[in-house]
Amino acid sequence: MTNDAVTARLHPLTALTAAACTAVITTAAASWPLSIAVALAAAVLAVRSGAARQVLAAAAVILVPLWLSLLVLHGLFFPEGHTVLAQWGPARVTAEGLGFALEVGTRTTACVLVLLLFSFTVSVPDLLAALAARNIPPQFGFVVASTLTLLPAVARRLDRIRQAQETRGMVVRGGLLARLGALRLQMVPLVLALMDDASSRAQALEARGFASPGPRSSYRDVADPPLQRRLRVAALVLTAAAVTARIVASWPAGGTA
Amino acid sequence: MSQPALTVTTPGQAADRGRRLLEIAGAAAIAATYIFLVLTQPADIANGPASFSALVALGGFLLGAVLLIAAVLPVLPTSTLVLIPVALVLNVVLGQLMGSTGLPFYIDAIGTVLIAVLAGPAAGAATGALSSIVWSFFNPTVLPFAAGAALIGFLAGMAARAGLFRRFYFAPVAGFITGILAGVVSAPIAAFVFGGTSGLGTGAIVSAFRAMGDTLLAAITKQALISDPMDKAIVFTIAALLAYALPRRTTFQFPFVRRFRVLAGKAPSAPDA
Repeated sequence: MTNDAVTARLHPLTALTAAACTAVITTAAASWPLSIAVALAAAVLAVRSGAARQVLAAAAVILVPLWLSLLVLHGLFFPEGHTVLAQWGPARVTAEGLGFALEVGTRTTACVLVLLLFSFTVSVPDLLAALAARNIPPQFGFVVASTLTLLPAVARRLDRIRQAQETRGMVVRGGLLARLGALRLQMVPLVLALMDDASSRAQALEARGFASPGPRSSYRDVADPPLQRRLRVAALVLTAAAVTARIVASWPAGGTA
Repeated sequence: MSQPALTVTTPGQAADRGRRLLEIAGAAAIAATYIFLVLTQPADIANGPASFSALVALGGFLLGAVLLIAAVLPVLPTSTLVLIPVALVLNVVLGQLMGSTGLPFYIDAIGTVLIAVLAGPAAGAATGALSSIVWSFFNPTVLPFAAGAALIGFLAGMAARAGLFRRFYFAPVAGFITGILAGVVSAPIAAFVFGGTSGLGTGAIVSAFRAMGDTLLAAITKQALISDPMDKAIVFTIAALLAYALPRRTTFQFPFVRRFRVLAGKAPSAPDA
């Protein structure tokens, strides 16, 4: 989660609102030139904020299989298509099918890039402090923060368990049964250790009044300039307008074609 | 050990009813969205991507998931709450471990089902929905499936309550049925928001149904009916075996396990020791 001058000046909720509203408006607009423009803008912003490598790597893992799947699915099999470009047996390449794949693919690409740009540039502690200051239950912040810090720790722990079991003779090789056996040797100690940790963490939290109701004071104060507040309201109004326009334009007229 | 569960502040009758209403509203939002999407699905998707259906699916399912979280999260005992991050991490890490065995399933709900077995349907539903939200930090495409994940946690909890986790051979049956329901509910998201499935293997199955002339939603629903029940049967079996492997001192500290005799066997003689 990198931080630079631009994102540091941006209140986390402003960034979240901007990302979510962009994604929703792109979905509502349903035009591939706009989707491509949004995706390019997100990529440029990612480069400028220094998070380009993380954002693009994470996006590639998600988008490459999706695009391949969309092209195979709609490029070859699109029974609704009329303009046949090529045909091999049951597979027909239709202009409509390719158009549909392009529309949906660019839309998903734009949304994924925008949301990843947000999650890789936001400062998670700032985001949680901002959410807690707005009456979001503190349990939500605990779950999010705890998971994000637990993930790397568990990956390290799993590595240690694997090494320990390998010194005792576990070999991850061979047939399915051997692999499942090796899996059991790693899973059970991991789950046992994590559950044990959790119950001692519960006692520590309980002793510090975690479950007690009432307001919480925060040590972290995130500046929220009035300009950004107005910006958020404007973004939300714009999004509501886009969604309303889409719903009015294509409300399914029941039966009347 | 059972101390944290006892010190939960019992909210007043009115607050309790408010939470119950929130839960019902969340479930109703998910059900209504699904019915609306199936009834109004665009007959001819050649006119462009179903933007309207995508917005309805996103809005309705996310609203339902958020309402469920808001209803359940604040009243969970701390002993259950600290398990949710563990479950989310297990969903991810065990999913990757299973991937290393080369089995063609996505096994991404083991932690959710384990929590549901230990702490009940409400905790399971909240864990499922939260899992999607937290995981969307790294993969935004899981976010729309939050309602389906919540449904898996809820149904796993109901199965545990009915005693289906007392014997290991009932667990896959419960998983199979859960997979059918969860797959059917998640199909509109795959169809209208993403226009297909994200895997090449599942994409091939959908292509086969499309080649036979099915609509996109019908083809994806049929694909989900092929993959999801098997997947969830495996997940439920693994979660059951993990629950059996845990020491009784750990499992019987959960009031849900004690009250509904979720796992076979008697409670340790001195649970408060």
